[in-house]
Amino acid sequence: MDLYLVLNTSMLLTLATLCTPIILPLLSDNLKNTPSTITSTVKTSFLISLIPMTIYLHSGMESLTSFWEWKFIMNFKIPISLKMDFYSLTFFPIALFVSWSILQFASWYMASDPHITKFFSYLLFFLIAMLILIIANNLFVLFIGWEGVGIMSFLLISWWHGRADANTAALQAVLYNRVGDVGLILCMAWLASTLNTWEIQQISSPSQTPTLPILGLILAATAKSAQFGLHPWLPAAMEGPTPVSALLHSSTMVVAGIFLLIRTHPMYANNPTALSLCLCLGALSTLFAATCALTQNDIKKIIAFSTSSQLGLMMVTIGLNLPQLAFLHISTHAFFKAMLFLCSGSIIHSLNGEQDIRKMGGLQKMLPTTTSCLTIGNLALMGTPFLAGFYSKDAIIESLNTSYLNTWALTLTLLATSFTAVYTLRMTLLVQTGFVRIPPLVPMNENNPAVLSPITRLALGSITAGFLITSFILPTKTPPMTMPLSIKLTAIIVTALGAVLALELSKMTQALILPKQNRFSNFSTTLGYFNPLTHRFTTTNLLNMGQNIASHLIDLSWYKMLGPEGLATLQQSASKFMTTLHTGLIKAYMGSFALSILIILMSTY
Amino acid sequence: MSSLHLSFYSAFVLSSLGLAFHRTHLISALLCLEGMMLSMYVALAMWPIQTQTSSPTIIPILMLAFSACEAGTGLALLVASTRTHGSDHLHNFNLLQC
Repeated sequence: MDLYLVLNTSMLLTLATLCTPIILPLLSDNLKNTPSTITSTVKTSFLISLIPMTIYLHSGMESLTSFWEWKFIMNFKIPISLKMDFYSLTFFPIALFVSWSILQFASWYMASDPHITKFFSYLLFFLIAMLILIIANNLFVLFIGWEGVGIMSFLLISWWHGRADANTAALQAVLYNRVGDVGLILCMAWLASTLNTWEIQQISSPSQTPTLPILGLILAATAKSAQFGLHPWLPAAMEGPTPVSALLHSSTMVVAGIFLLIRTHPMYANNPTALSLCLCLGALSTLFAATCALTQNDIKKIIAFSTSSQLGLMMVTIGLNLPQLAFLHISTHAFFKAMLFLCSGSIIHSLNGEQDIRKMGGLQKMLPTTTSCLTIGNLALMGTPFLAGFYSKDAIIESLNTSYLNTWALTLTLLATSFTAVYTLRMTLLVQTGFVRIPPLVPMNENNPAVLSPITRLALGSITAGFLITSFILPTKTPPMTMPLSIKLTAIIVTALGAVLALELSKMTQALILPKQNRFSNFSTTLGYFNPLTHRFTTTNLLNMGQNIASHLIDLSWYKMLGPEGLATLQQSASKFMTTLHTGLIKAYMGSFALSILIILMSTY
Repeated sequence: MSSLHLSFYSAFVLSSLGLAFHRTHLISALLCLEGMMLSMYVALAMWPIQTQTSSPTIIPILMLAFSACEAGTGLALLVASTRTHGSDHLHNFNLLQC
């Protein structure tokens, strides 16, 4: 059997199956979409996408397809080329599995929404754009997917657009992503003018790697993956419904920036500046996000900052020149982060919209399945041995400890790992254990299979995904094999220290008194003072500069002083001077003018 | 000279004499200025016809544009002097001199 044909066909069939709910209603009036048809479409796509992944795991076969070239400049080829290699073949089933679970959950979560079908089609559009981004082989197709996910993120965050906070959050997401797009376009322009191509195969440069396009790529990843400096949109994006947060802002869209860096890895693999930049930026982001998550009281914001912290960890891995390990962390992170969001959605709906963890407690007995899966997800996030997060996170920490890098990045990352344990354990303790702090009459019911089966499916994935992926994939770089015992146990030790700290802290906060403000708690609560500083300062400066240039410079000085009125002032000063010398006998002047003309004419004849 | 040349030549000379010897009103000087412009326009329009070249055909239009600006300036001066001196009589013009 020609496995090559099967690989390509099944991959294209996956994408085509996803497009059917968009195309079929346009062809006939009877074929309307419903949430269940879209969910079953994604499930079918997932099952079909298992075929190419199995072929890859069996024989290591990769494929590169190119069809239809856009001929609009003569000597610049822009083919629509799709690359089916390890990254895309492995990520397709994972993304589709997570999306299927989220869509099934969303049919329960958004059941009371009148436009639920539009919501599902938005999610489907987003999924298609994300898969286009994953499978792209040149930066043009990747850019199409990039912009697609950006727009769908905007539309989905502002789903409840009657709420002013949701609109501001969506606007923030679009503006910050735009800044990153500038970086991506810079890189594309540089590539088009220097290497005359946008294909990823043709951009591996041997020794001197230029810094400018790499800086553009890092800027794009900073914006899309919410690294420090362009990060405020990610916590604000929690204004969207929980399925949106689960799909976009935990598993798929925010990893697009890291995925771009993974794809273009050969470009900067030999550039120590770029690698150090990624390392330090990632370390700073992971620590900053973990610090901000320590004092958050909204359950979705805690998980959002946790996502931001894990994205920083992925950036650190890129900085260590280990793109495959970053991809492994992306894959395992998708499972448990989506599950954490789904569990929080179930809790929020059961408590009739309550998202504050200070008003939850003792839910272990009332929502057993949800809270058990919440515990599994939190343990996987902390890197508990042999759950999914362990295989990627522990490998990253081990490589970090045994590499030649600056101590600052190492310290920040280890501190952030410890903080991860602190905030996850704080969330678990406040939500699940302790005294009950919820109002007595709540519609608490988790016995719907639309809720339970996605969560348990993802829990199964959170437990087994790491093991399954690492046992089937050969690493491209040799992992560190020998290290002292203390280095080997570093991740576990800092996590355990963080957990002990969290237990101590939770004992201190049993009484509901106002916490005392000191510098560090203020820093953590106000998210590092970043939002008011940048959002007010930069916009004030920009608008002031605009007013200075437009009205003061152009209108007042150029048009008035140097332009017409300046000329008028000059003439006026001259004529004022002349007036005193004038006698004003116009008739005499004109008569003498006529007389002299007459004399001249007569003298020439 | 031909009668064509005589016509605009004499129009120009008469208008310039009228400009030089206007007695009472400033506006008669402006009218004579316009007459000079008109005769110059006719002259400039006749020249490419006589020499059978088509490139200088646009020159009378350019001249007309400048003449319109000039007429506007003249009228603005007229209005300004009427506002300050009360009329456009010429013998008033040195009365308010200080």
